[in-house]
Amino acid sequence: MVISLKDAFKLAGVTIISFCAVFVCTFFISYYMDAAAIADKITDPQAQALYDAQMATATFVSCLCGGFLGLIAVVTLVFYINLYIRRNAYALGLFKALGYPNARIACAFWVFGLSVLLGAALGFGCGYAFAPAVYDALTIGALPRIEVSFHPELLVLLVILPAAVFSALSVACAFFALRRPTLELIRGKSERVKAVKRVRADRERGFLAEVFIKTTFGRKGIAFFVAFACFCFSAMVQMGASTLELDTGYMMGAIMLIIGVVLAVTVLIMATTTLVNSNAKNVAMMKTFGYNTRECVFAVLGGFHIYALIGFAVGTAYQYGLMTLMVNIVFKDVAMMPDYSFNAPVMLITFAAFIVFYEACTFAFGYALSKVPLKAVMLEN
Amino acid sequence: MIKVENVTKSYGATQVLKGVSLSISDGQFVVITGASGSGKSTLMNVISGLERPDGGKIFYGAEEISSFGEKQLTGFRRRETAFIFQQYYLLPHLSVDKNVRLGADLAGNKNYREIIERVGLAEKQNRKPCELSGGEQQRVCIARALAKNPRVLFLDEPTGALDEATGRSVLGYIAQLQRERAFTMIMVTHNANIADMADVVIKMNSGNIAEVYENSVRKGAYEIGW
Repeated sequence: MVISLKDAFKLAGVTIISFCAVFVCTFFISYYMDAAAIADKITDPQAQALYDAQMATATFVSCLCGGFLGLIAVVTLVFYINLYIRRNAYALGLFKALGYPNARIACAFWVFGLSVLLGAALGFGCGYAFAPAVYDALTIGALPRIEVSFHPELLVLLVILPAAVFSALSVACAFFALRRPTLELIRGKSERVKAVKRVRADRERGFLAEVFIKTTFGRKGIAFFVAFACFCFSAMVQMGASTLELDTGYMMGAIMLIIGVVLAVTVLIMATTTLVNSNAKNVAMMKTFGYNTRECVFAVLGGFHIYALIGFAVGTAYQYGLMTLMVNIVFKDVAMMPDYSFNAPVMLITFAAFIVFYEACTFAFGYALSKVPLKAVMLEN
Repeated sequence: MIKVENVTKSYGATQVLKGVSLSISDGQFVVITGASGSGKSTLMNVISGLERPDGGKIFYGAEEISSFGEKQLTGFRRRETAFIFQQYYLLPHLSVDKNVRLGADLAGNKNYREIIERVGLAEKQNRKPCELSGGEQQRVCIARALAKNPRVLFLDEPTGALDEATGRSVLGYIAQLQRERAFTMIMVTHNANIADMADVVIKMNSGNIAEVYENSVRKGAYEIGW
C-alpha cells in the first residue's frame, strides 16, 4: 500500500505529545491509585488535608494534562493526515481509479496509530522510571511515604487504548478525506479550490503585503500550532518556576519546565516546517524574480509573530489562573501554604527566553527558506 | 549584449554543457532547441543566473555574472531578468492582479494593469489561478514577467502544457510584445517549428552547440507548423 511505517514515524510531533501526556499521567494516576490504597492509614487531620490536596492535584493534573495533550495530539494527527492526503493525492487518486474502495485505502492509515503507540509506550516506561522520585516529591509534611506499584490496567488505559483509538481515528479521518472525487485527487485540486472566496483584495496593496496577509491569516492550522507552542512555553516554564518558588519540590518544577520546552520546540518545528515546505515553490518563484531572502522570510514567516505573542499572553494568564486555583482551592486547608501572587520577574525572564527561543526558530527556518533551490523546485511535476 | 564564453556545467559525473560559447545581441528573439538531455535548459539556467556554471564566463555588457555571489545574483535577476515556465508557478492563493504585482512591484511599475489588459485578462484580474484555463494562466505568467520591464525574458517551454490553438495564441502575444518593447528574449523549446519565429536559432546536441543560424524573416505564430 501507499503508506509505510516510515510515514507513520514521521509524526514525531504526535509521538512527543503522546509521550508527554502519558509520562505525566502515568506517575500521577499511579500515585493516585497507590495513595488510595493507604487512605485508611491516614489519621492525623493535617496529614489528611495534605493527602486530600495531593489526591486532588493528581486527579486535576491527570485530567488536565491527559485531556489537553490528548486533544492536541488528535488535532495534530488530523492535521498531519490531511496534509499527507494532500501531498499524496495523486497516488491515492490512482488507487481509487484502479478500483480500490475508499475503505480499503483508508484502512492502510491505521499505521499512523503506531506513532502514538511509540510515544505512549516510551512515556509509560519513563513515567514508571521517574515515579519513585515523583512520589518522594509529593510526600510532604506529615504524609506517609508511598511505595510505587505496577498497575497493568494503566498499560491498557494509557498505551494500548490510545494507540487503538488513534489508529481508528486515522482510518476514519482518511476515509472522510478520500470521499473526494478521484479526478480531483489525481489533478491535485484541493478542497480550497472549491471554496474560492469572491472577496476582492485591496487593489492597492503590494505583492509582499498581500502574501504576508494571505499567509498569516489564511493558514489557521499553522496559526493554531504556533500559538499553542508559545502557549506551552509560556505556561509550563512560568508554572515550573512558580512551583519551585512554592517549595513543592524541584522535581515537579523541572518536569514542567522540560515538558513545556520540549512541547514548544516540537510543535513549533512541526508547524514551521509545514509552512516552509508548503511555501517552497512560491519562495523559489519569488527568488527567481529577484526577491531577496529577507523579503521572502518576512512575507512567509513574519506574520506568525502575532500568534506567538497571543500564545504567550494566553499561556501567562492560564498559568496564573491555574496556580491561583491550585493554591486557593486545592491546597486551601493545608497549613503553612505560602500565598501565591503573579510573579512579574518570572514572567519577564520567561518572556526574554521566549523571544530568544522564537527568534532562533524564525532564524533557522529563514535560513531553510534561503536554501530553497530555485531549479529543483522549478523542475518538480 | 550577452556573451557566453566556454561555459561548462556538470551534474555529478555527467557533463551537461561542454564548453559552450555564444553571443546574443540586445533585442533579439533567440530560440534554443534540441533533444531531451541536449543541455538546452541547463544553458538557459546558467545564462539567466539561476545556476552557476562550473567553468567559463557569462557577461551582460561589461558585468560578469558568473563571478557574482548569491546576493549579487539576486540583485541582477531583480534588475534585468524575468521568467516564464511551462508549469506557470503562479501563487495559487493570490488573484491574477496580485500575481502580476509579483513582477511589477520589483520594477516599481504602477501601470502594470495595462499589461493585464493587454493580455486580455482585465475582466479576470480578481480571479484565482485555479479559476483560469491553461492558456489564461500562461497569459498571467506573461503579464507577470512583462510587468517587471525586464531587459531579458527567459522562457522554458512556455507552450509545452498547452494545446495547439492556445499555444499559438500565447506565442502570438509573446512575440508581439517582444517586438513592441524590444527586450531580448531567450526561449527553450522542443518544438522545432517555433524556431521559425525567432531571429536566431541555437541547436544543442550532447552539451555542445550543433548549429546557430539566423532567420531572415520572422514568421508569425499562425504561420509556423505545429
